[in-house]
This record gives sequence, C-alpha cells and structure tokens, in this order.
Amino acid sequence: MDASIIKQIEDIVGPEYVSTREDVLLTYSSSASMICDTAKPDVVVRPRTAEEVSKLLKLANKYRIPVTTRSGGSSLQEEVIPHSGGMIIEMMRFTDIKLFEDLRSVKVGAGITFGQLDKFLLEHDLWLPMCPESALVATVVGNVAVNGAGPGSSVYGSIAELVLGMEVVLPNGEIIQTGSEANPHAPGPFLRYAFGPDLTGLFIGSLGAFGVITSVSMKTFKRMKHFHHETYGFHSIDAAERFLLEIQEHEIHTVFASLYEDRVLDLFMSMLGDEYGIPEYEWPLRTVSMTIGRLREDELNSDIEMAKKICEDLGGYVIGITELPKGEWELKMWTFVRACYVHGWHWRTLYHHQPPSGNRKSVEKIWEVMDEYGFLGHTAGFLSGHASMNMYPHLYADPEDPEEQQKIRDGHQDLARRLFKTGAVPFKLAPYWKDILQEIPDYMDLLRMIKEVLDPNGIMNPGVLGGI
Amino acid sequence: MPTIDMEELIEELMQCRRCGICRNAVYDDMGFDGVCPIWRNSTGFEPDFMRGKIIIALALLSGELEKTAENVKALFQCTLCGNCTEICAASFDPKEAMETVRYVLNDAPNPVRDTLAKRVIDTNTPYEEGQEIKQNWLNELDFEVPNQSDVVYFVGCTAATKLHQIPIATAKILQAANVEFAVMENEPCCGSVLLRTGRADEAEENALTVAESIKSTGAKRVVVSCAGCLKTLRKDYAEKFGIEMPEIVHIVEFAQKLIESGDLNLKPLENSTKVTYHDPCHMGRELNVYDAPRSILESIPNLELVEMHPNRAQALCCGAGGGLRSYDSELAKKIAAERVRHAETLDVSALTSACPFCELNFVSGSKKEESEIEVLDIVELLSRCL
Amino acid sequence: MDPQALDQLREIVGDEYISTRKDVLLSYSSSASTGYDSQMPAAVVRPASTQEVSEIVKVANKFKIPVIPRSGGSSLQGEVIPSPESLVIDLLRLEEIKLYKDLRSVTVGAGVTFGALDKFLKVHDLWVPVSPESALVCTVAGNVAVNGAGPGSSRYGCVGELVLGLEVVLPDGRVINTGSEANPHAPGPFLRYAFGPDLTGLFIGSLGSLGIITKVSIKTFRRMHHFYYDTYGFPDMPSVERFLIELKQNEVHPLFASIYEGRILQFFMDMLGEEYGIPKHQWPPLTVSMTLGRMRDDLLQSDIRMVKKICEEIDGHVIGISELPRGEWEDRMRVFVRSSYVHGWHWRILYHHQTPANWHKSVDAIWEIMDKHGLLGHTAGFLSGHSSYNFYPHLYFFPDDPEEEQKVRAAHKELSRLLLKSGAVPFKLSQYWTDGLAEMKPYLELIRIIKDRLDPNGIMHPEVLPIPEE
Ligand SMILES: Cc1cc2nc3c(=O)[nH]c(=O)nc-3n(C[C@H](O)[C@H](O)[C@H](O)COP(=O)(O)OP(=O)(O)OC[C@H]3O[C@@H](n4cnc5c(N)ncnc54)[C@H](O)[C@@H]3O)c2cc1C
Ligand SMILES: Cc1cc2nc3c(=O)[nH]c(=O)nc-3n(C[C@H](O)[C@H](O)[C@H](O)COP(=O)(O)OP(=O)(O)OC[C@H]3O[C@@H](n4cnc5c(N)ncnc54)[C@H](O)[C@@H]3O)c2cc1C
Ligand code: SF4
Ligand code: SF4
Repeated sequence: MDASIIKQIEDIVGPEYVSTREDVLLTYSSSASMICDTAKPDVVVRPRTAEEVSKLLKLANKYRIPVTTRSGGSSLQEEVIPHSGGMIIEMMRFTDIKLFEDLRSVKVGAGITFGQLDKFLLEHDLWLPMCPESALVATVVGNVAVNGAGPGSSVYGSIAELVLGMEVVLPNGEIIQTGSEANPHAPGPFLRYAFGPDLTGLFIGSLGAFGVITSVSMKTFKRMKHFHHETYGFHSIDAAERFLLEIQEHEIHTVFASLYEDRVLDLFMSMLGDEYGIPEYEWPLRTVSMTIGRLREDELNSDIEMAKKICEDLGGYVIGITELPKGEWELKMWTFVRACYVHGWHWRTLYHHQPPSGNRKSVEKIWEVMDEYGFLGHTAGFLSGHASMNMYPHLYADPEDPEEQQKIRDGHQDLARRLFKTGAVPFKLAPYWKDILQEIPDYMDLLRMIKEVLDPNGIMNPGVLGGI
Repeated sequence: MPTIDMEELIEELMQCRRCGICRNAVYDDMGFDGVCPIWRNSTGFEPDFMRGKIIIALALLSGELEKTAENVKALFQCTLCGNCTEICAASFDPKEAMETVRYVLNDAPNPVRDTLAKRVIDTNTPYEEGQEIKQNWLNELDFEVPNQSDVVYFVGCTAATKLHQIPIATAKILQAANVEFAVMENEPCCGSVLLRTGRADEAEENALTVAESIKSTGAKRVVVSCAGCLKTLRKDYAEKFGIEMPEIVHIVEFAQKLIESGDLNLKPLENSTKVTYHDPCHMGRELNVYDAPRSILESIPNLELVEMHPNRAQALCCGAGGGLRSYDSELAKKIAAERVRHAETLDVSALTSACPFCELNFVSGSKKEESEIEVLDIVELLSRCL
Repeated sequence: MDPQALDQLREIVGDEYISTRKDVLLSYSSSASTGYDSQMPAAVVRPASTQEVSEIVKVANKFKIPVIPRSGGSSLQGEVIPSPESLVIDLLRLEEIKLYKDLRSVTVGAGVTFGALDKFLKVHDLWVPVSPESALVCTVAGNVAVNGAGPGSSRYGCVGELVLGLEVVLPDGRVINTGSEANPHAPGPFLRYAFGPDLTGLFIGSLGSLGIITKVSIKTFRRMHHFYYDTYGFPDMPSVERFLIELKQNEVHPLFASIYEGRILQFFMDMLGEEYGIPKHQWPPLTVSMTLGRMRDDLLQSDIRMVKKICEEIDGHVIGISELPRGEWEDRMRVFVRSSYVHGWHWRILYHHQTPANWHKSVDAIWEIMDKHGLLGHTAGFLSGHSSYNFYPHLYFFPDDPEEEQKVRAAHKELSRLLLKSGAVPFKLSQYWTDGLAEMKPYLELIRIIKDRLDPNGIMHPEVLPIPEE
C-alpha cells in the first residue's frame, strides 16, 4: 500500500494503532476458520471511535481499498479472512458498555465479548440470555454481524431477535443509528421497529459487507436462577423431533435443547464423558439433552412435569442423566470449545438451520457425504427458536494432511449443495454457499442491489454474502 | 314519509368512519363469517359494500358526483340486508341511511325502480303477471275461503304469483288447526318494494289504502307468509307512516303458537330428513324472529335441523332484497347461489326459509349451482305432517 | 392514464377487475383516515394472483405510473390515500391460507384479515397471538406493511416480530421470497433470519414504498385457554411506570396491559361503562387494565401472585374490577372500534412508542397540546413489547366543522414534534413526522437511496414515506 495512504491512516488513528509489519499482518491473515486459504492484508488499523472509522472508510473508498472489519476473529467460515492488499479494521478498542436499566437494555461497543458483557450484567443481576459457544472470544457485535445462535436460543431465538438497534458507519462514512435511538432525543434503546422499514436487520448477518457496526443495543433480562437439566431418550426419530416441536408448542422454557444421534453421543462420550463425569450409558437411538430455565421455581416445576408428560406421551422416557445438559449449560462458554478441540483434528463446519422435522434429513446427508468421501465428522444441533434447529456439522481432517483437507473441502461444498436441496437454509451466508445460491438469482440480486447502493465501490469485505 | 332533515342525514352518513369492517368481517366469536353479500359476489370494488356506498352517497348529495345512472348504481346494488348495520360500531344505521338516501335521490335515473313503482301503483303488484292471477292458487284448494274473518291471511305478491305451494300449505295448516281465516278479494301490494327503492311518498299513499282495505275485512289479526310483508306491515307502517294496524303475524309465529297450544298436531315425516334454515333478513335482523321457525322445525318428528354458518343476526342475505332481484338479477342470483353452496356443505336435503322472496331467489341460485338441494318454505314441510 | 397502459392492465386482470369509473375512483380516494384530504387515483385494479401483481407493476414501470398497494383500507394516518394519477392495486383477492403445522407457521395471502385467519386457526387450536384492534378489516399483510401492534403485543411485541418471511413483488416486478422460503426446496416458513442480512425487515413498516407484499408467513402458537383479568390502581405516574417495568423484568408478560389516567377512564366509562357492564368505581389517579394469559393454569396462578406482589410493593392496589380488561381482551377485535366511534367525533391519531419509564412524557405532551389548542382527545396506549409502550392518542373534531378540523391538524403536527423531542419514536412512519425528522437526515437518506435503487422510476407509493428529496 502506498506510504502516503498509510500516512493518512496514521493521521486518523495515531501511528501506534496502525501496523504494516509482516508478522502482524500474518497474524491477521487467518482466523478461527480452519482448512481454508489465508490472505495477508496490507495494513491493520485499530480505531477507537466511530468518527475514526468513518474517516477510514472514506479513505478506503477514495483509494478503493478492500476493507475487512474484524472483531474477535473467531468466525469459522472464512468470513473474516482479509483480502490481499486490503485493510483490516480491528474493532477491539470499542469497549464501552452502557446499561439502560429502565429500558431493559444495554449498549455495547464492538470490542466487547459475551464473556465481558456477562460479567458486567451479573453485577446488576441481569443477563443477555443467549451467547455463542465462543463467548469468551466472540464479540456481541461480531455475532450480530454473523447473526449467531447458541445456548439460550432455544427460547430466545438467534441473536438477531435480541437486538434493539445499532450504530453503523456506512461505507461512505456516514454514521447512522437504528432503532429507537435513531431519535437523538430518545432515552436509549427501547424498540427496534421504529422509523419505518427495519434498517437494523439489514446489518444483522451482513458479515461486514454493508458497513462497520460500532455498537449494538441489546435486550437484557433479569438473570435466571432456576434450572433443570435432563436427558430424554427416544427409540424413534419421529418421536424425538416431535418432542422438540412440542416443548416449543407448550411453551416450556427450554433454554437449550440439543438432539443427539446415539453414535455421535458415543463419540462425544468417549472423548469427554469421563472429564464431565457422565455415567456410562447405552444411549438410545436419539437423545435430547435439555436445560429448562425459569425465573420462578414454581414455573420451572410446571415445565419439568410437562416435559416429562410430553416425552412419555410420545413413547420416550426420561433418562435421568443430568451431567450432560448440566455441563453444556453451566460451562456454555467453554464446553463446546473443549469438545471441539479434544480430539486433535481441525475441521470445517457447515452451520445451517432446519426445522425440527428436517433434522433427520441433515443427519442423513452428513453421513452420506462422510461415507462417500471417507472422512470423519459428526452432526449435532440445537433448537434455535420458534421452529428451527441450528445444525453445526463438523468435518474433520488431520491438520497436517493436505490431501485429507482437500477431501474435506470438496465434501463440504458437496454437503452444502445437498443440504440446500433438503430445504435447509444457511445460518451464516458464508462464501461457500455461492454456487448454490445461483438457484435463487432474484433474491441474490436484491441483496446485490442493496450492496451496490451502500457500497458502490465494493470495498466492504467483498466476496462474502454468497459472493455478491 | 316524514320530511327528511338533510343536515341530519349527512351527519348520520358522516358517522361512518370508513373503517371498512362492514366489507367482509370474519369474527368467529360473534358469529360473523363475512358481511356484505354484494361485495362477496361482485367484482368487489369499494362501491360494492357500505363504506364505498356512503362515500358515493355523500358525493351525490353534495353534488360532487353527478346523478347519472352509473353513479347511482352503488346505491341500488345493495339488498338492504342490514348485515353491515349489525357489525358497524358507529352510532348510526347504515342500511337505514342508504334507504333514506335512495329516497332523497329518487329523481336519479333508475328505470328498473320506475317500472316497479309504476306496476305497484297501477296494478297492485310489482310482477308483470298482474293482480288478477294473485287469487289463482285458491282454485287449487279443495275448500272455500271467505273474504271476511277475524284472521286474514295476507298472501303477498310473490307467493300468490310465483309460489302457489306456499299459500296452499298455509291454508291447509290453518284449516288443520281449525282457524277460521279469510283471504282478501283484491289483495293489494304491501308496498315494500316502493319503500326499499326510494319511492317512500308513493309507498305512504299505498300504505294508507292497504291499511284501509285490510281494515275493511274486519281483521283483528293478519297472517303473512312473506318476511317482507311482515316487516313492512308490522314495522314500517307504524314507524314510518304512523299507521295503526291490527296484529301482524308471520305464519311461522302463528303456527308455533298453534303447535304449542296443541291445536296443531304433527305426524312424523315419512322419511327422516335433514334440513337447514335460512334467516330472512326482514324477519331476523329486522324483527328478531329467530326462534319460532327453529322451534317449528324441531317439533317436526323425523326431522333434523342443522344450522347454516353464519346464521341468525349474522346470516348472509339471500340476495333478493332491496330491489336487487329486479335491479341486477344476475348478481342477486349469484348471491343466492353462494348461500346454496353453504347449505350444500351441510349435507342436507333441503334449504328451508320462511320467505317466498328468499325462496324464489334460492330456486334461481340452486339452478345456477345445479344443486340437488330442495328449496322449501317451512309451511311446505309442515303441511306434509298434517 | 395512458389508454395503452389501461389496455395492457385490462389484459392482465380482465375487464371486470379494472375500473376508471368516477364513483369507483372516489371510493378509493380515502380510507379510515379521518382528517386527511382525499385524492382520487386514475384507475383501480383488483389482481387475483402474485403473477398478476407482478405484471401490473411491470406495466406501471413502463408507463411510469405511481402505484398504491391497498389492502383493508383501514389505515389511520393517510398511508393509503392515493397519489394523483396513480393506480391503486387492491389486493383483497389474494386470499389463500396455508398452514404448516410442523413448522408452527402459516402463510397468508395479502387479502386475508386477522379475523379470517383467526377463524381458520381456531379449528386447529392455534392462533397468531397479536392482532390490531381493526382485526376485522385489516389484513395481515397491511399490518406488516405498517408494522402494527395491538392486543397480544404486550407479550409478543409488534407484528413485525412474528413474521417469518414474505413474498414480495419488487418495484421492477420481480417476485422474491424472504426468510427460509427463499430456498425453493424449504418445507415452508420456519426461520426469518436465513440467507444473511435480514431482507424481511426492509418491507416491514415500509408502507408499500419498497414493494408489494403478496404473502406473509407468520408464526403460529397453540391457542391459549387460561386467562386472568384484573385492574390495578396507582397513586402516581412513577409508580405506575415502575409497575410495567417490574412486570416485564420479572417475566410476567401480560397479553395486554394498558395504563389509563383517571380522567380518561372516567370519560370512557361515561360512554361505554354500561354497555360493557363495568361497575361504577371511583377510579384512582392511574389504573392498569391487564389481561394475563398462559398455556397452563399453574403458570397463570404463578403470574397472578407475582403481579399482586409487585403491585403492592410499589404502593399500588388490586382493584378487582375484571370487566374492563375482560372486555378489552375478549372483544379485542371490536371493542376499540366501538369506543372510538360511540362519541360521534372524527379524529386524528398520533401513533407512537415510548418506553414505559417515559410514559408520563407522552401524557404531558398530549395534554399540553390539547390544552393549548383547546381540543378534546385522550392518551390511551398499551405495553407493546420488551420495553416499549404504544400510544394512540386521539385528537377529536366534529365531522362537519372544518375549522376545528384544521385546528386538529395543526395541533397534531405540533404534537408530533413535541413527542420526538420527548424521546418518543413513530409507530408508523407517516408524512406528518417530516418536520421533526430533520435531525435524522443520514438515516432517512439511507432509506431514500435504497428506495431509489429498488425503484428507479419512483413508482411505488412515491409519497408515503417522509424522506427528503435528493
Ligand atoms: C469454538 C468456537 C465455537 C463457536 N460457537 C459458535 C456458536 O455457538 N454460535 C455462533 O453463532 N458462532 C459460533 N462460533 C463462530 C464465531 O464465534 C462467531 O461467528 C462469532 O460471532 C464471531 O465473532 P467475532 O467477534 O469473533 O467476529 P469475527 O470473526 O472477527 O468476524 C466475523 C464476521 O463479522 C464481521 N464483523 C466483525 N465485526 C464487525 C463489525 N464491528 N461490524 C461489521 N462487521 C463485523 C467480519 O467482517 C466477519 O465477516 C464459534 C467459534 C468457535 C471458534
Ligand atoms: C378502528 C381502527 C382501529 C385500529 N387499531 C389498530 C391497532 O390496534 N393497531 C394497528 O397497528 N393499527 C390499527 N389500526 C390501523 C390500521 O388498521 C392498520 O394500519 C392496518 O395495518 C392497515 O391494514 P390494511 O390492510 O387496512 O392496510 P391499508 O390501509 O390498505 O394500507 C396501509 C398501508 O400499507 C400499505 N399496504 C397495504 N397492503 C400492502 C401490501 N400488501 N404490500 C405492501 N404495502 C401494503 C398501503 O400502501 C398503506 O401504506 C386501526 C384502524 C382502525 C380503523
Ligand atoms: S358503515 Fe360502519 S362498519 Fe362500515 S365503514 Fe362505516 S363505520 Fe365502518
Ligand atoms: S345492507 Fe347488506 S347488501 Fe347493503 S351494503 Fe349492507 S351488507 Fe351490503
């Protein structure tokens, strides 16, 4: 990059927050996404304010520099891999948190992780009831930018549904605020759907392609203290899927409910069963591992009873092993990471959503691909809202075996195509959906039009969002 | 007709908040499953239900809209069924207001209305067949009926002209219950159609003669077959013209009393029969007569009554009223056909009612639908059980 | 309108479904919005399918005819009043309903009203738990287009939050599906947030300016059967505001909760108290009328206990009159209409949202304006979600008093500015907010550029959003 441009960048944020050092650039060339290509940016910038970001974007526009906005760098689908010759805007210095107790909301800067926010809210006996399993590194803003889901989503939906507004620096440098705070006189964030068409949603799941989110305003809730952990066994796939649907229908407050195949559970248990003190057990065809949570104990008891009844009415049975769901829930900021790392493999994930009744289709396709391509992997998924499940299949490869890695890449692409045909939808619209999305050209065209309006020079994280 | 206070009329019309609820509200808790029969069976533009009609009425009254045959169409494409009034939350009666508007604008071009009015005035019947044939049904009766009695059976133009089975059945019922009754020699038209189509002045004149000739029969009680006659003679004569009439009862109300008192005994129907009942607007919404017809049907042995949906105060109109059957007979028949289709979903053998005008239209509707359903008046069923 | 355009439109919908008759146009020149000027369109069409809508829009583009999507015509803020020389597209013939039981959702055509949908779902023991008070006329699509709220919103938020996806005819005539249905292989609507940025939201509250919604896919829930109605009295504004916040904070989510000032309640009671059989009562300065609803009775009982506790902890008392909330809830599809019409006035409404903690600010602003202009009106509203409160103040005038009507219009405008300054936000973004929005230029500009790109000929309901010219 031209030295004069670097100089201008330094003028904006101060020289100490700009780096063009090779080693630094290298560390920004990848992310938590494994088995994918990396790329080195020309410069990394760590701004502190929206105004600085605004100036940076104006500059980038002037010189047509591709910009990758990066927060935690924990994304798994290549979304934050930079562009050669590009600029990374790293947002971790946006560390403000502002609580609006009476508005039941909190406004967090782009550098705040779920872990930090949770600690902050804990003091007020509040919480944000949903977090991704990467909560210790992922920022709230980063998760909004990918529209994540995780423990808590079974009741509260994906993170999008908790957003009340955000501050965004548009690619042209204009700073806007969405939701009730669009009114400069508003007492703070109290409503997302204000001021006509919902602009907030445009930036949710936008993977940094529409603008830089500098802060996001989230709903807060009184911290829940009554939980019940339980596992439920089913001898038929139908009954297990039905169970997930019915606990939603009966408004059982299931903060986290995962559906496991017996063989996948066996795999997990062989890796982590001992560590979590989970008793040996002959797992049935399908197991639901579930945490019910309520603010009030009487409500919790009512839910427990009802869940049991639904389970039994469907021919299932209460297993009675609580350690699994308890571990998943209480250590939600960490267990999953552990489960992903313990076996030593690298992996590609293929986040997607199915309705509960589509769970079996995903399972079937994943095994199909694993068998055909001959690699290891698994799939599991959790309820992620009104009638959806978030599936997160992993495809494993030896970190040092390029051949196997290629197999994974091919299988992964193939799997995405097959999943789409089953009716699944992307969770995050990562680049590998690109080919498949040619099947819905008009939809993609609308996305493209919006992209062009916001970012006529195409500088913002080009290539993400299915390649528009 | 009392003189119309134009300011008041406009004030009334302005009570409409243009919410549009009277178009096709479906409100299960209150029994509504659609409101305006016109809107449902026409091409469904705004003038096809009350909100648009009121907007147009106001514009016609203010002169903003010229009184052409086309521009007054919306006013006459309305059966005055009153279902909009039933659902409307505003403090006015849109159906009544529409009738008044027709009166105020009765110089607006409408040849159909003029022909009907002329016939009623000149020949005492809206039907082109003329008054003479109104007594023909008596020839089919195997007993004599006098012209003078305490009870006068006022047959009504439609039954007397088009549906002889109704007066015949009625006469048989009265006879079976040993009720002495008379039929008028030159039965006039009650004038309902004049009133509905905006010819209230002529209607008033007509009413005075009708009242006079009924009086001359010495009747203490007038029995009618037609819901339109019932509403006009019982309600409009008193309320609109201040004319005192003897007691006016519908044969259905009368028969119910006769059954209750044991004067009329019913034999079981030959075959067990399932029927449904359509509430005529003029009997139901106008006069709250809902139970008598049902109670009769339920007292017929071997008969099962299943309700139509919607029914009673929320019932959809048969399509014939308000002059529509003459003004736009295609539309009227379409409306009837829809109601027949509703009946068909109930798996019944007959669609019954208590109004010859409804029945006449249902027969057309049923033809249109090529339906197998029998269209019957309650009295026809009753007469089968004597 | 260009006769050639008319011919082409006629070809699309058939002779009988297009009209240029003056009486017909006149009947489309206004809506339920009282206190607004009427405007006749040049033609009205009533298409029967998405395909027809799409073709109509293409013709409109070709001839640069402004297009006004219209459903129930029940909107109150002038949103559906046509532009001059425009084409009204009446969408009521799109009446399909398709249930997806296993996806907990239903897809409805743009002509389906809340009342009709409710009847349909009842058979399956399901419901969409939010409906506007105009449910008997207002379509689901029309309410999504304005992002409405109503009974049920106190628990479930505004209607936007229940939407899972839309079928939209874009201004260029292309048809897209949003949400999970964007995948043509999807079993139906099961997730809104699929395929990256949320495009569904773009059309929620768009007032028909960005496209025509031909279908809405919306969440369904098992129908609730356990309800509890009560009224709660409070001595002052801070305590009543705290009450609503504490309810929400303690996960008591009433289906419907309204605050009434004593004087407003008295006014309502004078009009309708007897009709609804509400006992005479010396109402306290502030009353909350509330319907609780839960899936199971034991949960309901838990709520009832919790509410009482919260109420009493902040100087409130349980009044025990259940007829008011019961009437509001059970007759929710009509009671409001009744109370809005019974007095005989016309009105202008100023829908907006406040946060409960600032409830008093709206009330103060409304009274300030009513007093200043010497107008009658009221300040009613209801809890509308996580921490918002939907106000629907009415300013009354006599229908045949043009002078008073002008006064109301002026006061209305002034009030909208005052409300924005008090921190309120529009519920529906109609034209009268324009003045107050000067401070939000970049925001509106964003809407404008998106609109310009989607609708380069500016044909989709061009005047409805208060966005500045370039
Ligand atoms: C072990 C592990 C477990 C995980 N579990 C989950 C899980 O349960 N649920 C889940 O949803 N995800 C999960 N993830 C994925 C990842 O953590 C999420 O995608 C997370 O939201 C990324 O946040 P981040 O702050 O790290 O963003 P980054 O990785 O830095 O960026 C992610 C994307 O968002 C964009 N972006 C980042 N910041 C901004 C901004 N301020 N403005 C605009 N765009 C921005 C980037 O350009 C990029 O496209 C997991 C990851 C790991 C490693
Ligand atoms: C008595 C009464 C009570 C009311 N109570 C409430 C209430 O409690 N809550 C509430 O939210 N509202 C309420 N309203 C207002 C009104 O009912 C709502 O605004 C309603 O959503 C309008 O729906 P509609 O189908 O009548 O739409 P219309 O009035 O026909 O149109 C409204 C707007 O949406 C656009 N539009 C309509 N259909 C479409 C479509 N298919 N695609 C794109 N754009 C479209 C129109 O162009 C217009 O801008 C009330 C109205 C009345 C008369
Ligand atoms: S007549 Fe009544 S129901 Fe019909 S639009 Fe007018 S006010 Fe509404
Ligand atoms: S009286 Fe009947 S036909 Fe006439 S507008 Fe009302 S509902 Fe429609």
